[in-house]
Amino acid sequence: MGQKTLEIYSVELSGTKDIDQTDKGDGKEKYRGLKNCFEPKKNHQREELKKELDLDDHKLSIKELEEKYGTNFITGLSSTQAAELLAQNGPNALTPPKETPEIIKFLKQMVGGFSILLWIGAILCWIAYGIQYSMNKSSSLDNAYLGCVLALVVILTGIFAYYQEAKSTNIMATFNKMIPQQALVIRDSEKKTIPAEQLVVGDIVEIKGGDRIPADIRLLSVQGCKVDNSSLTGESEPQARSSEFTHDNALETKNIGFYSTTCLEVSASPAGTATGMVINTGDRTIIGQIASLASGVGNEKTPIAIEIEHFVHIVGGVAISIGILFFIIAVSLKYHVLDSIIFLIGIIVANVPEGLLATVTVTLSLTAKRMAKKNCLVKNLEAVETLGSTSIICSDKTGTLTQNRMTVAHLWFDNQIFIADTSEDHSNQVFDQSSGTWASLSKIITLCNRAEFSPGQENIPIMKRVVVGDASETALLKFSEVILGDVMEIRKRNHKVAEIPFNSTNKFQLSIHKTDDPNDKRFLMVMKGAPERILEKCSTIMVNGQEQPLDETTAAAFHTAYMELGGLGERVLGFCHLYLPADEFPESYSFDVDTMNFPMSNLCFVGLLSMIDPPRSTVPDAVTKCRSAGIKVIMVTGDHPITAKAIAKSVGIISANSETVEDIAKRLHIAVEQVNKRDAKAAVVTGTELKDMSPEQLDELLTNYSEIVFARTSPQQKLIIVEGCQRQNAVVAVTGDGVNDSPALKKADIGIAMGIAGSDAAKNAADMVLLDDNFASIVTGVEEGRLIFDNLKKTIAYTLTKNIAELCPFLIYIIVGLPLPIGTITILFIDLGTDIIPSIALAYEKAESDIMNRKPRHKKKDRLVNQQLAIYSYLHIGLMQAVGAFVVYLTVYAQEGFQPGILANLRVEWENDNVNDLEDSYGQQWTSYQRKYLEWTGYTAFFVGIMVQQIADLLIRKTRRNSIFQQGFFRNKVIWLGIASQIIIALILSYGLGSVTALNFTMLRPQYWFVAVPYAILIWVYDEVRKLFIRLYPGSWWDKNMYY
Amino acid sequence: MVIQKEKKSCGQVVEEWKEFVWNPRTHQFMGRTGTSWAFILLFYLVFYGFLTAMFTLTMWVMLQTVSDHTPKYQDRLATPGLMIRPKTENLDVIVNVSDAESWDQHVQKLNKFLEPYNDSIQAQKNDVCRPGRYYEQPDNGVLNYPKRACQFNRTQLGDCSGIGDPTHYGYSTGQPCVFIKMNRVINFYAGANQSMNVTCVGKRDEDAENLGNFVMFPANGSIDLMYFPYYGKKFHVSAVGGPVRWLPPGEQGPGEEAECQGPGPLLSSSGPGELHAAPGGREVPERDPQCGGERRMPYQCRQHRHGR
Repeated sequence: MGQKTLEIYSVELSGTKDIDQTDKGDGKEKYRGLKNCFEPKKNHQREELKKELDLDDHKLSIKELEEKYGTNFITGLSSTQAAELLAQNGPNALTPPKETPEIIKFLKQMVGGFSILLWIGAILCWIAYGIQYSMNKSSSLDNAYLGCVLALVVILTGIFAYYQEAKSTNIMATFNKMIPQQALVIRDSEKKTIPAEQLVVGDIVEIKGGDRIPADIRLLSVQGCKVDNSSLTGESEPQARSSEFTHDNALETKNIGFYSTTCLEVSASPAGTATGMVINTGDRTIIGQIASLASGVGNEKTPIAIEIEHFVHIVGGVAISIGILFFIIAVSLKYHVLDSIIFLIGIIVANVPEGLLATVTVTLSLTAKRMAKKNCLVKNLEAVETLGSTSIICSDKTGTLTQNRMTVAHLWFDNQIFIADTSEDHSNQVFDQSSGTWASLSKIITLCNRAEFSPGQENIPIMKRVVVGDASETALLKFSEVILGDVMEIRKRNHKVAEIPFNSTNKFQLSIHKTDDPNDKRFLMVMKGAPERILEKCSTIMVNGQEQPLDETTAAAFHTAYMELGGLGERVLGFCHLYLPADEFPESYSFDVDTMNFPMSNLCFVGLLSMIDPPRSTVPDAVTKCRSAGIKVIMVTGDHPITAKAIAKSVGIISANSETVEDIAKRLHIAVEQVNKRDAKAAVVTGTELKDMSPEQLDELLTNYSEIVFARTSPQQKLIIVEGCQRQNAVVAVTGDGVNDSPALKKADIGIAMGIAGSDAAKNAADMVLLDDNFASIVTGVEEGRLIFDNLKKTIAYTLTKNIAELCPFLIYIIVGLPLPIGTITILFIDLGTDIIPSIALAYEKAESDIMNRKPRHKKKDRLVNQQLAIYSYLHIGLMQAVGAFVVYLTVYAQEGFQPGILANLRVEWENDNVNDLEDSYGQQWTSYQRKYLEWTGYTAFFVGIMVQQIADLLIRKTRRNSIFQQGFFRNKVIWLGIASQIIIALILSYGLGSVTALNFTMLRPQYWFVAVPYAILIWVYDEVRKLFIRLYPGSWWDKNMYY
Repeated sequence: MVIQKEKKSCGQVVEEWKEFVWNPRTHQFMGRTGTSWAFILLFYLVFYGFLTAMFTLTMWVMLQTVSDHTPKYQDRLATPGLMIRPKTENLDVIVNVSDAESWDQHVQKLNKFLEPYNDSIQAQKNDVCRPGRYYEQPDNGVLNYPKRACQFNRTQLGDCSGIGDPTHYGYSTGQPCVFIKMNRVINFYAGANQSMNVTCVGKRDEDAENLGNFVMFPANGSIDLMYFPYYGKKFHVSAVGGPVRWLPPGEQGPGEEAECQGPGPLLSSSGPGELHAAPGGREVPERDPQCGGERRMPYQCRQHRHGR
């Protein structure tokens, strides 16, 4: 039996079937989302994942089902049976996406980026030591130590990066933990509430309105059930469910309910519940299969990862080529191979910014934290920046751009259209409420409505209360509650005596009430429904509280209003009423809704009311911001084109003055084909049109129109659109909430899932979760992302600069033969000591100009580390630093007795431990230990020289274009913290740890700390001049070559 | 769909490179036009010219702070080191008596080393000083008045002087002389006004046994105060200075090591000694700030001799 359940679905890969072939009927269109497409890495042909559903449970009778699953409709499974099945099939839960094992993640940190270079350095150190040891058993351990230190550096930074990653993943993990779902199940003839995870195939479950369906179930007995399949199929309309087998396709038939979809309502009879039998659990459910397929869509590298890789390649390339070049030079200068290896290590260490990757991680996680505060939860640290480089946002409509609730937007009565307040709290209803017509209309709205507030919500604002009922009725209920006060009380006073609920054949809803006027014994019949159906039944119309015969003109006025409201993409309802004459319908009259023993014509038409899911109030502003930030906002929705277009217009996705081809045709009264397509800026494309487009046509569409709305799209098409955008070299952000969106979310450069409305699958596939489902939060994210890109640039420029100052000593040491100016360990103390906090501090720098007013960066052209940045850092500032640090070093040597002249070519004698009488410029003789100590003093001096100039470097990196005075010296307090840390660490190293031999620091005379200051000032002045010329001559040679 | 990576053919790559090197359409060489290159060259010429000037200026300013005659700081040289002659690769003096070539080089070196100490040259260049007193030569108002060193005559080295010596400083007889010299340090007053001795012992007990007794020249390895202070290369007309001692032959054994101590108390004028290195090539970091005038600073030197 267990085996059989496993065979129910088979998933097969088919590379040949074209996607369009599966579109046999329009009903199937919406299921295309189930057939995820993904690309195998090797061949670029799109492969279609086609699913064949062998599910036949919907065809079987209850008897056959009972047999098949060994269960009983009335008594359910026995506990022992259930336990067995649970053990056999596993819990009814989706397997979370396969996580990379922690150890792999950890090892990746160990070998990623610069780590490889450092490992090479460490291994070279050990090799050098090995050679030394084999030649002389008592050789010094220096190289072995250095190797260990390098390895330690790699391991520590790796652990740090891993820890940071893990921390940000943990936020997500806690977020994912949701209240376990419960299910009402019949087992051993008893109703029990058990965790939904423990459901097994064959269980009989009961579902109430509002429940999430706990597994794939075959409905056995149910009435008036509606489910929301939107997360599965993208259909926003509730789908009816019954126990009848209606369609061969399991996805179409009405007697199957799908895991994780929501059951919206169930009719009161027989017990207010739907009963069903579990036919699939966990990963074998339809949703489970989609979710697992989504993980098959490849995750692309984030833009920042690509940038950092690019940067690592540049720096690594420089390190290796200089290293090898000087290795060759050293060997040809007759240096020992062993010495040459040691030079190579020095060059590698000097070139690699050891602390930088850790700094980048910290910087990103700082931003992630900041974004989390603004309701953007970032799952993947690197996604922080991706949002900043986003150039196209494919936004869902429902819930993201809109409030995701039907709201009364317009009213039409007394031949006039009134606008209702659609803002989030409805507080400002300004339309004229004095008319008698409004009194009647409001009565109909209140009474002809089955929706009710769930009890116990008196203290909650009306708009936030939970309502039992469908979307339009909820809208009407809340609308009337806001305007009229306690609706339930009004309904109580106007006792309902009969009712016909809305159904799709009648297209109206009717109820008959006793009125609250004690003097009026007449019954009031109220009716609402599709406007044209309502109008048919009317012979009079109410104007200013007076009934008037419905003539041609008023009918025409009605039609105009109806068309106008419909044209706004709103759902329009008509309202009418009739006071039943008291003589014909006495108080004791018994109304029969089946025979309809009451008049159904010659009613009095009262008004129209239109509803829409209104845009969130923050969205138009956010869209404008995106616009000015050069981000194209594309709406992709499953909704009707008219509604989509209306919402797009109201939020600014289609701006007020731009027209579609259709609009132009209408305005000029010509056929659509005659319109010059270039005139139209906007386009509304439906799924059906999209289906017939070739990729080239789609590309053309995406490039030619700046404002695009895709309506009536299937989830599958969402993926096609994303791919189309990516072909334009755009960085694409996709928002989505349903399971069916998850492939598109994964495919996008940054997938943004909705935190409230989003399904787990969507959240799993996304890189980012919007906790408040609000589009405006994306804009904040974009801003943060752009800022972090700018600041990372500054951080990297800052860090790279001193590499030259660290590298030059080695090169000069090799070529000129000076005593070594700075040691490898000392370099590590700069890279991982004094420079760390300042480079993080740059992440706190405010934007120089309005970053939301410029175009998103071009993926291929605006690199994080570009030629200008590298050249300016290396060849300008870096070289100045090197010169400055050399001055400090030479000062120390000269004042101790070794004047610059005799330092050249001193190296061999200097380093020979057996030369104990090396003469200085004054004829004094130095022992090897005395020289060693002087050498360390030289290291310390060089170190201090670099440190002092790095302070200037830090200050100049605050801005790239503006003067530091424009940016403000003290706005970023963290920078000063960084400078303080630099100085304090250097003081501690020199004066505190100056006596620890292994660290090669000595106590430096106080005056040497100031030798490099002129160079620090020079650096600052030089950079100010650079920025001044950039500002003065934009676009000039200077600007092009000096702006990074 | 994944953006397809365009596979470039080899020819295309070459073509692209060619265009990068010289683009005939835009007249760009390596991605830049001639004017742009000219600007760049000019810029870097000016920039690096300025940087060089700046460097030169700061170096000049710095050198103004440094005197030609005395170093500004001498804190590293509080205690002078000792060194041996003949100077060998790793301070091991290897002698094989039967193999003349093994010690001939040492003899050559010593000849050269001792030449300036010939009595005639000494008499010509250096002053005769009163022993037992520092030979101070104040400027007496004349700026940078030239100073002279005291005479150290080669003949004072007795058996190790190598004058008319058929044994070649004892190397041919297996009783080699090793000379110990003390490093020069400007204005260093060694010995705190008391006479000083260099003492040598075997490094290990068995070495001491094998070496037997050392014979020192001058007697007891004494260093006279008159050789101090040293006034620096520019003042001291005679470049040769400093006492020379020899370590006489003891009983020879394979690979003995001897350890010599410098004259103590060494610290008279220059404050607390911080570190000492020794001719043995072994660093002896002594960073005891407590070590005052009374303490004897251990030096070690090593003499390594091989078989008969």
